[in-house]
This record gives sequence, C-alpha cells and structure tokens, in this order.
Amino acid sequence: MVRMGECAASRSAGDVLVSIGLGSCIGLALVDAAVGVGGLAHIMLPETPKSEVGTAPARYADTAVDLLLERVLSLGAVRRRVEAVLVGGAKMFAFGEDGGSRLDIGARNESSTRQALARCGIPISGGATSGSRGRTIRVVVESGVVTVREAGGRDEALLGSAASA
Amino acid sequence: MTKQYSELQLDALRELANIGSGTAATALASMLGRTVDVNVPNVHAMSLADAVDAAGPPEQYVTGVILPVEGDIEAIVLMIFSLDGADTLCRLLGVDPATEIGRSALGEIGNILGTSYIGALGMMTGLAFDPCPPETATDMLAAIVASVLVPTAGTSDIALLLDTDLAIEGAECSFSFMFVPTADGTDEVLLRLGLGDVGPA
Repeated sequence: MVRMGECAASRSAGDVLVSIGLGSCIGLALVDAAVGVGGLAHIMLPETPKSEVGTAPARYADTAVDLLLERVLSLGAVRRRVEAVLVGGAKMFAFGEDGGSRLDIGARNESSTRQALARCGIPISGGATSGSRGRTIRVVVESGVVTVREAGGRDEALLGSAASA
Repeated sequence: MTKQYSELQLDALRELANIGSGTAATALASMLGRTVDVNVPNVHAMSLADAVDAAGPPEQYVTGVILPVEGDIEAIVLMIFSLDGADTLCRLLGVDPATEIGRSALGEIGNILGTSYIGALGMMTGLAFDPCPPETATDMLAAIVASVLVPTAGTSDIALLLDTDLAIEGAECSFSFMFVPTADGTDEVLLRLGLGDVGPA
C-alpha cells in the first residue's frame, strides 16, 4: 500500500503495489517488465514549495519522478526499458476555481508529472487521468501489469497482459 | 512546515466543534422533525496520509457533501454519508435519492448543517465566514477525503480535523461531519480564543 506522499519500489515476485482512492493525487507507476521491477509514487501536489525543498520528495510531482526513477534503476531496471503509467488527477469538486493556488490540483499534478517524465525521457505507455472519478492503481511487480479501477468498477489493465491482472 | 498543537488548544477546538455540531444537529432536527444525536467531537491533528486512513475503508463508496468556507478564514466542511444513509435521509425528506433532486437535497442538508455549524463558530470567535455553494460527489472515500485535505492543507503536512458523528433517531442514518480549516485558519481561530502563539514545532 502506497499512501499519500509516499513511494515504493520492488523486485520481489508476488509484490503488488497499490494506491487506493486517488482523487486529485497522481499514482505514477514505473515498470521494467523484462526484469520484473516496478515502482509506484502517490503524488499529492505539482510543485515543491520553497519552504519544503528536500523534505518530502515523493509528495511533489517535480521531485517524485526523479526519486522513483532512481529507486527502480537501483533495483536493476534498465532506463531505456522503463515505462510510465499515470492514474488519477481527477477533479472531484469544482470549489476554489477562482482561488488561484487551489485551482484544479488534479490537472496541475498531471501536467507537472508529464513534464518531469519528459525531462527524464521516460515514455508514458498508458494512463487513466482527469475526469471526476476516484481511482485505484495496482502495479503487479513481477509481470509489469498495471491496472486501474474506478469507484464501483472493475480492474482494467493499462499496461501488460490483462490475463494476469 | 510541521505544526503542533497543545492539549489546551485541542481541547478548545473540541469545545468549539461541540457547540458547532450541536447547533447543526438542532437545525437538522427541526427540519426533519426527529431527534438528532451528536457524539462528542474528535479533534485530530495528523499527517494527511493518516487522516485519510482514519476516515475509514479507503475504497468504500460514499457520498460526500462539501461546503467550502471563505471569509476571515478558509475552511471546508465535509459530510460523509454511507450510500444507505444518503438514501434514508433523502426518503425522510420525501425525495428520490437516485435523482438529481436527491443529490441536490443532500447538498442542501450540507448547506444547512454547515452554515449552522460555522454560524456558531462565528458567534464564538467573532470571525466572519462566508459559505460557498455546496457540492456533492459519490465516490471512493479516500478520493473524496484526500481531495478535500490536499488543497486545504496546502504546504503543511498536518491536517486538523474536527469531526463528529450525527445520527437520526429512529432511522438508519448516521453520518460524519468534519470541519477542516487551513493551517492559517486554525491559528486565527486559536488567536481569537486567546490561545494563539502557535509556533512551528
């Protein structure tokens, strides 16, 4: 279970990394299926505020991508094979639309995460983002399968074979 | 920045929540013509991730009604209904829960409860609150709670929650009611109560 503002990576067969109930948060999965390495970051906010530099890198999109990439590479993932899947970034409520910094955190989380991935040269192979529904992401480390489930729905494969989901 | 609150401050906030939720329950009771029970409020100051965990089973499907509050301080009032609880409440109001009118009725309940609650808080603290229109969403519990906490907490990782359970007597309907001020808002409330001087931990 990867909670808000946390990240995890694994190479243990049988491990499944999960973030339940992503709203405006982003669940970012990085996988290298060839070696069975997977990582998941549960990103809360798009940018690190100046007062928080270095305190909680997994919480902010601009630092979480690098952190998670480092973690999966250190477990033996090969950079050119690493693929990304993005889930979340929904807008559950419309409040704060006129209020500057609160403005659609979900969309800003997504765009900041995409920018950071582009900077690292990691391709985005799948995703389920925006909209207004909460989602749960699962990363099956061994097979590299990444699934998403919306509230009341079923798991759908975003990456890898659906059969093992 | 991580904030800490003293026991005295938390007690004062708990008392505020007690009076606020009592006022809200009275408003609901007079609307429904039924007794509404209120438990002793809890005050939690915890990390956002812990706060989401504490809310309940993360994937449980619930209806959330939010009432954003502006004015002297910013806060969000969040009410969480189980799906059955929401249905029961709609039926007590004589509307079909599966329709737009049902959703709107829940929003209106949120409006009445939330404005009664912050009205009482305003009386005690001398702060002016402006409630914004309510919104409802039916979704995973964790997604709803996180979407309220993240923008409210801003850069602080501590969420302050004042929460109460309300139960409508003689009906299978209980729900939780949370007041979530921003960190600045909490400081302002404490200051007005003469318990300010909350420094960074």
